Amino acid sequence: MTELSVASLLFLSATLLAIGLFGILTRRNFILLLIAVEIGMNAAILNFVYFAGFSGTSHGLSGQAIAVVLVGLAATEVAVGLAIVLALNRQRGSINIGDATTLKL
Amino acid sequence: MILEELAFLALAAIAVGTALLALLSRELVHTILWVSVFFVALAGLYFLLSAPFLGVLQLGVYAGAVTILLLFGVMVTRKRIFAREVATGIGPVPLGLAVLAIIVLSVVAASLPQPATPVRSYDVAQLSATLFGVDGAWLIVLGLVMLSALSGAIYLVREGRE
Repeated sequence: MTELSVASLLFLSATLLAIGLFGILTRRNFILLLIAVEIGMNAAILNFVYFAGFSGTSHGLSGQAIAVVLVGLAATEVAVGLAIVLALNRQRGSINIGDATTLKL
Repeated sequence: MILEELAFLALAAIAVGTALLALLSRELVHTILWVSVFFVALAGLYFLLSAPFLGVLQLGVYAGAVTILLLFGVMVTRKRIFAREVATGIGPVPLGLAVLAIIVLSVVAASLPQPATPVRSYDVAQLSATLFGVDGAWLIVLGLVMLSALSGAIYLVREGRE
């Protein structure tokens, strides 16, 4: 039975989201961009897991169920992102997002 | 429970620190190793929040699969694995804005009311009833999303594509 305050957990997840956003806005490497997106997504999943404990017993753990789905989605997103990285690397010879100036691969 | 608060503080510090190190490190491989520590710290947080299933899932999917996928991506796209990235620092204006945001956030967060005591009885049967309820619609949709992502990824990297 944990009595962690809402404030501390919200603060942690907001900090993690800010770090992820910082990475998304400043990094130029596609793989680093993917990692930053993952950090931001983990902040959201953390919120779902924490607030799952507050819903009543009738929809007991739907927050955790959403978190399970989100973890699966994040793994899928990394797989697609790496496919884009490979295609980009094959065609442009670099994975710098500054070189990806057109949508056509 | 002072012990749980200490554990939370330690895990939160590890998570924030490794996330920052991952994004500020100049070697991509070090970044990936730091981010795997970040994933493990978050798994510890899930165990602390009495969500052991999520914790195990985090360890398996994130600390395992995603880390290996990212390392694989680095290995395939680099001639030299340990090449350094171009340094990107934080400018004074974004840094000031971030400090301001942290101060505002902590003031706002400290004034939040504490709601009723959370229900923290973990029951894996309840979780699976939620996941597989409505004829398992959530998992079927997730499976379809994964299937389409898989075919899209194969289409992107297939041989003989201009």
